[in-house]
Amino acid sequence: MNHAPTQLHRDFIAAGGILLIAAFVTDCIYDRTALWQWANFSSWLITAGLIVTLLAVILLLIDFATGRAGRLNAGNFILVGVTALLSLVNAFVHSRDAWTSVVPQGILLSAVSTLLLLIAGWRGWSLAMSRTAGERP
Amino acid sequence: MSTTSFRRIVALIPFVALAACGSNGGDPARQYGSDPYLPDPQEYLLPPMSIPKAIGWKVGEMPAAFPGLKVEALATGLEHPRTLYTLPNGDILVVESNSPGTEPFRPKDFIAGNVKARAGAGAKGANRISLLRTADGDGKPALRSVFIDHLHSPYGITLVGDTLYVANTDAILAFNYVPGMTQVTSPGIKLADLPAGPIDHHWTKSMAASADGSKLYVGVGSNSNITENGMAVEEGRAAIYEVDRLTGAKRIFASGTRNPTSLAFEPQTHQLFAVVNERDEIGPDLVPDYLTSIREGGFYGWPYSYWGSHVDVRVHPQRPDLVAAAIKPDYGLSSHVAPLGLLFSEGQHLSPEFANGAFVGEHGSWDRSPLNGYQVIFVPFVNGRATGKPVTVVAGFLSEDKETVHGRPVGLALDQSGALLVADDVGNTVWRVSATQPGT
Repeated sequence: MNHAPTQLHRDFIAAGGILLIAAFVTDCIYDRTALWQWANFSSWLITAGLIVTLLAVILLLIDFATGRAGRLNAGNFILVGVTALLSLVNAFVHSRDAWTSVVPQGILLSAVSTLLLLIAGWRGWSLAMSRTAGERP
Repeated sequence: MSTTSFRRIVALIPFVALAACGSNGGDPARQYGSDPYLPDPQEYLLPPMSIPKAIGWKVGEMPAAFPGLKVEALATGLEHPRTLYTLPNGDILVVESNSPGTEPFRPKDFIAGNVKARAGAGAKGANRISLLRTADGDGKPALRSVFIDHLHSPYGITLVGDTLYVANTDAILAFNYVPGMTQVTSPGIKLADLPAGPIDHHWTKSMAASADGSKLYVGVGSNSNITENGMAVEEGRAAIYEVDRLTGAKRIFASGTRNPTSLAFEPQTHQLFAVVNERDEIGPDLVPDYLTSIREGGFYGWPYSYWGSHVDVRVHPQRPDLVAAAIKPDYGLSSHVAPLGLLFSEGQHLSPEFANGAFVGEHGSWDRSPLNGYQVIFVPFVNGRATGKPVTVVAGFLSEDKETVHGRPVGLALDQSGALLVADDVGNTVWRVSATQPGT
């Protein structure tokens, strides 16, 4: 029995997820210190997290197209999809000026995203099942 | 399977977009005067940017003026003219300038930069002062020369005796002036440093001299919209400075004025007045920009509060002691009009209607729908105080459909004949507004 081929998108989902989780950390520090640069870090981390997640989605399509991935992992797809939507809203919240770009709505969205991403990470990040031997792409 | 999920995601986008849209602004007239209507602040997902495309003026096109007045182009083809100043011999100085440029800090700053460029605000200023000389005061320039070159984002300009003061964004320079000269050859001598970098978000340094010429007053804008660049960079900003003309010693005369873009002395009372650009992104009708007398030691609210003690929750930590001390401005001009020019009307020969009061050049809004400003107004004064409703003096900078903008008014001056001059930094023109019937 062959090893399942590497799914290209998985590490990018993980990388994007970690960037978004890091934004929750910087949000927390801003909440404690009110030092503006932490809010800027959050803004960049969320933007970067969304861009990497978008790349991951493109790679997911390649994974499907090239038969590297099996069926969609619906649970993880929903977790990551909801997080991406919340983070998109969060990017706009973080584009506000000063305190209310983070507190309270921004940090709340970051916290919920972090919770969803931790679950997705615990479930292995991948948005698709591994192909089992003999399954048709 | 993935397509269905994708469709779900796409279907959600309109809701996100919808949540981002703010309501439209109401009648600006509700916000004129001493007691403007102040709605509750809003928080946005997307600030409601609404900027007409800058197209300039075709040959023969020009702004429209108040009945009985006519408009003509005094000079065209300038590079971002901002401030105007008439010398005692009638020569007109045009400060051609723009922001020294700021580094983007956040993803938002890249987008804001593109929007500004579309509106014509991204044009590079010439960093110079040009001189216009009219032959017989008829408004046709007979001579145009580069008066002072290689300045650093200049804005304020004033002559005291034989010294011409120019406020660069980072310092006041003093130039020796001889009546009739068309070019300054001697280098400027620095009188005083002014708060500039890092960032230099609001870069203009407006300036006026006291009646006796002993003091210069300089308006310094904040380094952010509402402290989003941190409090450290706001040290000494959003303030009006008093600079001793002989020693260059300076002190903060008044503070809490977010962006005091033009200063002038009321001619009867010799009271200092300023037009101030207030904060953005809490609604189309917040916060009204204003015209106010400036009290020595006065605090006008920024950043902690607006229009007196209305707290701005975006600022953290707050300062209730300063909020309690915040002075209510004298006169609301309505929200986001961006007043950049202030000129008391003494000496004008346009109309008896403008005998006592101030002209205000409104550059026009960028985060309000419908658009507001893009005109020159007149605010009547009684006994040294702004009173009553403003009158539109020059309009037509916007196209009828408000989709495109020909020009944006900035600095104002009166020429020797009492005609009103208006700098237009999108049309790159100086407009001369005069009475159709001379001598009225």
